[in-house]
Amino acid sequence: MLNFQTAINDQKNFSEIKLNEISPIRKLILRGKSREFLSAVGKTINILLPTEPNTSSSNGEITIIWLSPDEWIIFSNSIDNQDFNQIEEKLVQNICKTKLGAVIDVTDQFVMINLTGNKIFDLFQKGSPFNFNEFRNKKGATTQTLLAKIDVIIQNKDQNDINVFVRRSFSRHLYSWMSDSASRL
Amino acid sequence: MSTNSRLKTSKFIDETSRISFKFNNKTYYGFKGDTLASALLANDVHLVGRSFKYHRPRGIMTAGSEEPNAIVQINDGTAVTEPNVRATEVEIYEGLEASSQNCWPSVNFDIGGINNLLSPLLPAGFYYKTFMWPASFWEKYEYFIRKSAGLGKSPTQPDPDIYEHQYIHCDVLVIGAGISGIMAAKTAAKNGLKTLLVDEKPILGGNTIYKDNEDTSINNQTPSKWISDQINELEKLDNLEIKKRTSVAAYHGYNYLLARENLTDHLPIHERKNKIRQRLLKIRAKKVITSTGALERPLVFNNNDRPGILLASALKRYSDLFGVACGKKNVLFTNNDSAYETALSFINKGIKIEAIIDIRENPNSKLVKKIEENQIKIFKGYTVVDTSGYKRINKVSIMQLSKDGQKVVGNKIEIPCDCLGMSGGWTPAVHLFTQSGGKLSFREEDQVFIPKIYTSKQISLGSCNGDFSLDSIIKNIPGQLKQFFEINSTEFDNLDIESNEDLSKRNIWLLPSDKIFGKTKPFVDYQNDATAKDIKLALREGFRSIEHVKRYTTTGMGTDQGKLGNMHALGIIADTAGVKMGELGTTTFRPPYTPLTFGTIVGRNVGEYFDIFRKTPMHDWHEQNKAEFENVGQWKRAWYYPKNNENMHQAVQRESKAARDSAGILDASTLGKIDIQGTDASEFLNRVYTNAWSKLAIGKCRYGLMLNEDGMVYDDGVTTRLDENHYIMTTTTGGAANVLGKLEDYLQTEWPELDVYLTSVTDHYATASVCGPNSKKILQKIIPDLDLSDDNFPHMSFKNAKIDGVKCRIMRISFTGEHSYEINIPASYGKSLWEKCMEAGKEYNITPYGTETMHLLRAEKGFIIVGQDTDATLTPIDLQMDWIVSKKKYDFIGKRSLYRSDTIKEDRKQLVGLLTDDPNEVLEEGAQIVADANKKPIEMLGHVTSSYYSPNLNKSIALGVVRGGKKMLGQKLIIPMENKNINVTVSDPVFLDKENKRLNA
Repeated sequence: MLNFQTAINDQKNFSEIKLNEISPIRKLILRGKSREFLSAVGKTINILLPTEPNTSSSNGEITIIWLSPDEWIIFSNSIDNQDFNQIEEKLVQNICKTKLGAVIDVTDQFVMINLTGNKIFDLFQKGSPFNFNEFRNKKGATTQTLLAKIDVIIQNKDQNDINVFVRRSFSRHLYSWMSDSASRL
Repeated sequence: MSTNSRLKTSKFIDETSRISFKFNNKTYYGFKGDTLASALLANDVHLVGRSFKYHRPRGIMTAGSEEPNAIVQINDGTAVTEPNVRATEVEIYEGLEASSQNCWPSVNFDIGGINNLLSPLLPAGFYYKTFMWPASFWEKYEYFIRKSAGLGKSPTQPDPDIYEHQYIHCDVLVIGAGISGIMAAKTAAKNGLKTLLVDEKPILGGNTIYKDNEDTSINNQTPSKWISDQINELEKLDNLEIKKRTSVAAYHGYNYLLARENLTDHLPIHERKNKIRQRLLKIRAKKVITSTGALERPLVFNNNDRPGILLASALKRYSDLFGVACGKKNVLFTNNDSAYETALSFINKGIKIEAIIDIRENPNSKLVKKIEENQIKIFKGYTVVDTSGYKRINKVSIMQLSKDGQKVVGNKIEIPCDCLGMSGGWTPAVHLFTQSGGKLSFREEDQVFIPKIYTSKQISLGSCNGDFSLDSIIKNIPGQLKQFFEINSTEFDNLDIESNEDLSKRNIWLLPSDKIFGKTKPFVDYQNDATAKDIKLALREGFRSIEHVKRYTTTGMGTDQGKLGNMHALGIIADTAGVKMGELGTTTFRPPYTPLTFGTIVGRNVGEYFDIFRKTPMHDWHEQNKAEFENVGQWKRAWYYPKNNENMHQAVQRESKAARDSAGILDASTLGKIDIQGTDASEFLNRVYTNAWSKLAIGKCRYGLMLNEDGMVYDDGVTTRLDENHYIMTTTTGGAANVLGKLEDYLQTEWPELDVYLTSVTDHYATASVCGPNSKKILQKIIPDLDLSDDNFPHMSFKNAKIDGVKCRIMRISFTGEHSYEINIPASYGKSLWEKCMEAGKEYNITPYGTETMHLLRAEKGFIIVGQDTDATLTPIDLQMDWIVSKKKYDFIGKRSLYRSDTIKEDRKQLVGLLTDDPNEVLEEGAQIVADANKKPIEMLGHVTSSYYSPNLNKSIALGVVRGGKKMLGQKLIIPMENKNINVTVSDPVFLDKENKRLNA
């Protein structure tokens, strides 16, 4: 049997902040431009793709983050969600096969790190030029920015509960930087 | 024997906590709240350093960041030592050790003091003159000049402190927490704006915090009481952040500012552990309010630099804030009323004033009269012509000024003293304003430059805007704030202010002496030891522009950046050259306003965080198996796996032999992988690669070469057709991000009509490349049910498969020339897949090989590496890869450039193979290639791009680019090296298996 190995395999608890890799979480990139694409996706997954820049929407099962006018990332809200396979199959069937757009499996492209605690934005301030003043109070807000010089997608999941998506090859470096910085907050 | 000069209790100094520190190895005591300067002055220590050029004894002169003299070394000989620190900015802590700089053997007896006697030989620009004549002497001077350059000593040990950066976004940034800044910050915050207030000092309130003269009041309170109340209210506001000990270093365009926040420098060393020492704040503010105050000007007269000569305002700060009397017999020397405020403080505190010398002929403000009522002798219309006392002033000589102020008349009067306070009026601190691109205007009546044209949303308030009196500040600021914030009222609209300030001033930039000018030493820039004589010399020698005079005399340079002396330099130039100061302009005030440590600039980007390291899913395995790593872009790639103390050469020889003889395995996860989907995917590939793609069957792979618009090779890789409208492209490791960016750029700007979506999946897949004669057997063991026959799975094709139920893609492609499979599996299974391959390959001695062996293997086969064998000046034709350039396609990126006259020339540099006459001689990569080593000048035909010893061919092989190389097959060339010439023969670049038998085996 092949063994599954998480990217970071670590958990850090500091007094004001907790870092945790959430894995395995299935993730897909959706690409498409047309109105038909948007409605086909909506029908397939029972949730509309967010069209307002830097926002996300979710239902009980999945969350969708707007990435660009023709690009979204969809991910499962729960670990090791077998139902997600059906979602993927249906999307491939209704989007790729109908030539409406593209569906790409990026489950292992991105590592999802969850941060909780009341000093998350103090941590971000140490390595990201992004202005989080409004973001921090807006549930569902997302951004694509740099953190410690690394490309990240950040989602405001809830008050003091933030998801960071980072490319797997960068994840250990980012995690190490975040832990180092968080240790002095 | 030190004397205690401490006065009665100051509320700003905590006399219950006594702190011991050392200065020049002697122990002194101060109190919490003291700066090094105030604590030394409290111990009656004035002499703290030697001047830069002449090594003249110098003392503390100011009480702030404008200090030019009291520049010391902190904690010398330790890892945390810091040179060139202003004693006026260092807060003392238990265990602090400071020492004087630029003196040897000691500050009291300094050999370098001889420079003072040699000063006629060291005029302005003497350093430049040593270059000029006699030219050959420079080599003799150089040693001494280099040795005497600089002030403090740089640390030699690694810095143990931690630094970091912080990004801050605010609505309003207020710089300086004097009365203007306090009023501005409170108004901003109370109007709902997210406000940041910074001040370089540990105490807010500027000079107002200790202004408690009974005849000045705000709303019937003393200014100090009023501002204390304001600060208390300010500290309770939610949307206001206050950062003390924070100095704005730079003000860039669009309200982007850099500031240094000092967090632990005031703490005893044992309390600093694991704390950030300093933080570089990167501030973006929607609006900026500069309230940086004004700097008191010195006066320029003969010998105005002795220890014991301070600015009058500094004397007041030391007495009122720190409770320190700087002298027992004080003389004040002024051209305006400011020194009288100091006098008033002195009278109130019982500090003795010998005399006041005022160059004004008839000062008659209420303040002056009040001082006169206290029986203080005022010499009106007099000037100081000289001072004496080597290590501490002991006497001033004064004479009456002529009506025009150009010379002195009458008899000389001598006044013994141990401290001289001088005031030449005030200079608005406009450094940050000008850094932001603001333009100044010159106000004739009091000879100051004030802000005029703003280039971003900012205002200057208070004395940095030329409002020097409390009265004008209180009256003007509410209106300025209302306009700036577009509000109707402020809480400061109807403040009741009572003040007797008089702003009259008699400005004489260079005060006359009874001595001839050439025999005087009137210092203008104390830090750089530049005198008025130097400036006049520069003018005599033909320098006219203020920027040229600055460089020639060094006035206004260094860490000082003209804080104190710049105005006098300008004034003296204007007077001497007969031009108006307003027309002359100022020199450029450069950031940083106060020096930054390297640590602050670097922040946390040191050690493991210096650069980003990307790691493959198999990284841990490589580490566990003692791989050496190579940086490829940001990736850490396994370079080679030494066994039993092998060196790199030995390991690579073993690895490459194993790969050709049996089986090798390479971690190829770093290659860029781009998922391409859309109905126009084939057309898109046709446009980006030089070869044709429309007819590539589903399930097949093809090598492609991507060119730049100029026709030069940009990237290469294998692209696989997964489905009708679905491809996966591989790029070089280093080129991945750039290739994706370039292709996305084309899609969005040039070909928006194409239905194509590009998505990076580089990190999604781990790739293990198994090669060698036994690779098929190994793969079969891993995936028993996959038909690996050449018919079903030929070279340059791919199969979907499952390994233990995990989906994977297998490409039969080869970069080594061997029969080879690349297994792509989701990254989470990468390490396990690798281990499975190792286990399955055990019986075939499967050998992990790194990038170095990969390079060797592909060189044997003549495969290029973009970026090693190419350098953005080579076309596919230059690389002898004509076969890959489609003649039929309508267009592809770079096509047109391939038909330019220059790109079709036959004598371009072309890729060839090189074989050394001695098969054991391995060429150096980068070595030049010539045809005739004796020809002068030597004609260089090209250079070696790749070179290895091939254990499979038992000889040295190399690739190189040679001008006209294609036609040189078999020709002898020479590689001239330092000690010998190496003879080579031009060969085909494919050294091994030209017929591809091994690939297809």
